[in-house]
Amino acid sequence: MQDAIRGFIALAGQVGLNFDFLASPFELRMWLDGMGTTLVLVALTLPLSLAGGVVLAAALTSGRPWLAGPARAYVELTRNTPTLVQLMFTVLVVNMLISQALGGAQNNPFGAYFWLVAVVSLHVAAFHAEALRGGIEAVPAATVEAARGLGFSRLEVLRVVELPLALRTALPAIVNNLVNLVKLTTIGYAVAVNEITYASLMIWTQRDNVVELMIVLLLFFSLINLAVARIGAFVERRLAVPGFGQ
Amino acid sequence: MTLKAHLLRAATLAAVLLAGVSAASADATLDRIKAKAKFTVGVILSGAPFGFIDPKTQEQKGFNIDLARALAEKLGVALDTVTVTPPNRVQFLQQGKVDALLANMQVTEDRAKIMDYPPTVFDRAGGAAVGRRDSGIKDWADLKGKPVCVSQGSNFTQPLIEQYGAVVKGFPSQPESLLALKGGTCVVAVHTGATVALMLEDRADEWKEYGILIPTEIVPADSVVWIRKGEKDTAAALDKALRELIASGRLLEIARANRLLNTAFIEEQQKAVSAAR
Repeated sequence: MQDAIRGFIALAGQVGLNFDFLASPFELRMWLDGMGTTLVLVALTLPLSLAGGVVLAAALTSGRPWLAGPARAYVELTRNTPTLVQLMFTVLVVNMLISQALGGAQNNPFGAYFWLVAVVSLHVAAFHAEALRGGIEAVPAATVEAARGLGFSRLEVLRVVELPLALRTALPAIVNNLVNLVKLTTIGYAVAVNEITYASLMIWTQRDNVVELMIVLLLFFSLINLAVARIGAFVERRLAVPGFGQ
Repeated sequence: MTLKAHLLRAATLAAVLLAGVSAASADATLDRIKAKAKFTVGVILSGAPFGFIDPKTQEQKGFNIDLARALAEKLGVALDTVTVTPPNRVQFLQQGKVDALLANMQVTEDRAKIMDYPPTVFDRAGGAAVGRRDSGIKDWADLKGKPVCVSQGSNFTQPLIEQYGAVVKGFPSQPESLLALKGGTCVVAVHTGATVALMLEDRADEWKEYGILIPTEIVPADSVVWIRKGEKDTAAALDKALRELIASGRLLEIARANRLLNTAFIEEQQKAVSAAR
């Protein structure tokens, strides 16, 4: 392993790329941890954003003002403000207020990692909700009426009629949102969550090998998102209803 | 040509381009400075006393700015400053956007590999640990396993992790790191001694529960002017200018005017340089 790393460093050096940091155990570990953390972040925020999106979409289309009102307010607030600002605000300000209210930081169970997962998934959930709302509203009124006529409750109509059809309409937009979500996890760098951008930044500010680490970063995210897009396309094909929406 | 040959050519071209980025061509910086009648310096505006924007006049102020101006005067040209940040400062220098860097960068082995500097050192800077007085931290060794806030790109990161076993959290800049310290994200924040000492003094009310907890500074290192690798004439000209500024007491004046609280090193340098003349 050590030999392979040394060989790679020498090879990269020949084309003018400085990967010397791989020989430093603490930097190598930080970098690999960063890749791992990014993958875990994606694995956490992806399902959370989808769950949040469904709940928000259900609230938005419920027709009950006490549900739809707050949901609409939340969607507007999160969609219209920069995610980076939301994250720094929650970690640096909201978290400090929580610490003060609980009588000291030692009693506060929330850290930067928690807020990153929460902010990113709920931010993307707002976009999912809008995509799903579009899908739900595209379900023909006659179909909903027919379901009601068969004695389905409001929630049942949503669950077995509207959502399955809405999902199919909204899927391309949702996959788009998910691709964005993967890239959005990089804002963790601003609050010292050791994801791959943060790890790269901590290394390149010491070694000034920005170009080298940028190349790896771009490849790394390209690969994740290629996988997300491929899986999305596969699900789209599997769920396609012949004749629906044509 | 086959597809493979095309790809190979593209890859070689990309490699050559990338190599060009890492090792900028050696142009005669000094000639360019004289020709433009302008000395372009990359500065960091991360806070008093080194570099900041005066909220009243919107002007750049601080020790680095004044030193850059004094150097430009010695070279007989006007000063032009460019604001840089830790991630882009070396690229700015290598791509020729600036002639020199006065960007809070101390001498390290890695930096000396890719850049040069005039040998005269103008200051020495190390890291001081700010934290709550009741935190019980008294020594660098007490930081083992504890979260420590720093700025991203600070050269205290590696010794904190490797020597003292601290869990380092790097924030984009000093204000965020200090806010995180207040929020309890870390037990101490480690920043350049002169900067935090001045902050604790200027904003005593806001920081009354906090102090510099550890009497020693971490990795004190030499502050120098960074220039492109191999620029011997520029190095010689800047070195001469620096020595003159130190010997004449001008550097000490600049340090005092910008309220660097500890000027012992500069005073010693003044004695040493004067004696050598």
